Amino acid sequence: MFNQLKSRFGAGLAFGILGMVVVWLVILVILPQILMIDYSLKPNLLPSEVGGPKDAFSLVNYETLFNNDIHLAIFFKTLWSSVLVTVLTLFVSYPIAFYLAKVATPQKAALCLLLLIIPFWINEILRTFSWYIILAYKGPLNALLLGLGFIDRPIRFLSGDGGVLIGMVYAYILFMIFPIYNAIESLDSNQIKAARNLGAGWIRTHWRVVIPHAKPGIATGCIMTFMLAAGSYAVPALLGSPGSRWFTQIIYNWFFEGGNWNQGAAYAFLLLVMCIGFIALVMRVFKVGLGDIAK
Amino acid sequence: MDSSVHLDNTVMQFGDFTAIQKTDLKIESGEFFSFLGPSGCGKTTILNMISGFLDPTQGDVKIGGKSMKGVPANKRPTSMIFQNLALFPLMTVAENIEFGLEVRGVPKNERKKASDRLLELVALEGSGTKKVSELSGGQKQRIAIARALAVEPQVLLLDEPLSALDLKLRQHMRTELKEIQRKTGITFIYITHDQGEALTMSDRVAVMSAGKIQQVADPITLYRDPHTAFVASFVGENNGIRGKVLSSDSGVAVLDCGPMGKLAGRSYGNLVVGSEATLFIRPEHFRLQSEEGMHTVHADIDEVNFEGSYLTLHANASANQALSIQLGTHQFSDALKIGAPVDLSYDEENAIIIAGEDNV
Repeated sequence: MFNQLKSRFGAGLAFGILGMVVVWLVILVILPQILMIDYSLKPNLLPSEVGGPKDAFSLVNYETLFNNDIHLAIFFKTLWSSVLVTVLTLFVSYPIAFYLAKVATPQKAALCLLLLIIPFWINEILRTFSWYIILAYKGPLNALLLGLGFIDRPIRFLSGDGGVLIGMVYAYILFMIFPIYNAIESLDSNQIKAARNLGAGWIRTHWRVVIPHAKPGIATGCIMTFMLAAGSYAVPALLGSPGSRWFTQIIYNWFFEGGNWNQGAAYAFLLLVMCIGFIALVMRVFKVGLGDIAK
Repeated sequence: MDSSVHLDNTVMQFGDFTAIQKTDLKIESGEFFSFLGPSGCGKTTILNMISGFLDPTQGDVKIGGKSMKGVPANKRPTSMIFQNLALFPLMTVAENIEFGLEVRGVPKNERKKASDRLLELVALEGSGTKKVSELSGGQKQRIAIARALAVEPQVLLLDEPLSALDLKLRQHMRTELKEIQRKTGITFIYITHDQGEALTMSDRVAVMSAGKIQQVADPITLYRDPHTAFVASFVGENNGIRGKVLSSDSGVAVLDCGPMGKLAGRSYGNLVVGSEATLFIRPEHFRLQSEEGMHTVHADIDEVNFEGSYLTLHANASANQALSIQLGTHQFSDALKIGAPVDLSYDEENAIIIAGEDNV
């Protein structure tokens, strides 16, 4: 790779580019992870005990999770809810992505993309707060539904998981739309016409022709959405109720309220392993390879 | 079964742009019919209206006598072969062919039988399990034909399907398509800008220009008796010589062609004395020897090309009148050299005079 870059940019610049990538990877990605693993394998000690006889590697911090039923339940609930967020986001995003890629005129598609992107110029916390206001018991959404007569008394969106799901679907929709849009856009429109011409209805056309083609894009979008959802802190913190706590909140509590970084690091590492394992499993089930996603 | 296609006073507009001017055309059951025209003339739009991808702004499309108004593309008895073939790359060859049957709920074993039979028809037995990407261009072409025929359409629509093939294969596929059409008896509607394809395969050809059908006729009539200047110059090679109508009487007109003198030919349509008209003579209709009753043009040779069985000359008859002439090789002589004067004669029967200007 160095030789390729060198022939293109010269030795100095190639060294500079590769050097920055290496620095970024080592200092910002690999080292902190190693540090976290190191933390997670050691007990939480007083400064005076560091280096003493108690400062030894053990799996105690990892065992904590499996001995705590509440934390374990939240762990699996986070997994399940992230799956739900991913599936909901996919259902919302696929039609939008298809519309943008194959139905809309270029002008309309550009306008829609702009409208989708503009809200993301605002900070995530503020956007989530705006949903807090929209979904409030006496908020505008309830007022609208009451006014239209769809409901006869306000709904408590923010108790339970509803608010968190809505907030997350909204927060990660672009991460789902763009990969799918890119994948569908590269589909030859004649393929869709050919399927129609051979008698296929819309559902079958999507199922047999569009979705198989867009599978890598769908996989990419789902992986990103799932990872972001499982690792989200702001949305469950703001839109969640006590009954819809996210595993990230527990990790946060270990770090900043319990002051036990070692325990927090073990929890964080378990969450990472769970996410990677789950994604690997899903990719195998749907027969998507890493090479497909990198396309 | 009636598988005729009737464009019943059809008009297609996109905003202010009229893609297809009012057209009334009936394509007979079992006919091999071609639309021939330069790109952008609206021929693909016609195909899209027949297949249901576009709804005509006015008028109707009738297939087998039935109005197709409100019938979506997937419910029409038509099947299309796309310019880029549009085979499904993620399916095997057999899955491609069987797709239309699968949609119709045909059981697996019957689908298999159908695809085997079609693979045999297109001479690709045993290729069912191959991937589309493993096929050559000509094989893909045949799979596209098999896939389109699998649904047993009443009308097969072909959108320049041979344009991506090399010359040899293209000529071979022409024969093969014609053969398949004869065997199946399906109405074939073929779109092309290649007059060779249109003339060799078709029972009838519609020549189109700028959204308008210029003439509908069998290939020989189209070649011999073009009705518009566009058809005369688009179909086959032609020499167009402009002039003013001096007289027009019982099918024969005389033009005043300025420095080239007075030239006569068969006339088509109403020629108004004094108006502009064009005389068309095909390159092969010029003779070096004048016979009784022939008309003669004097010209100087610009170029002599030996092409094997024949010989082409390029000559100029006046400042802005270039002529191309095709002669049998036996007529070659040393007198035919660049710069030499030549007398070109033609029979009045072989020249046709059409009102207006040749504007291709």
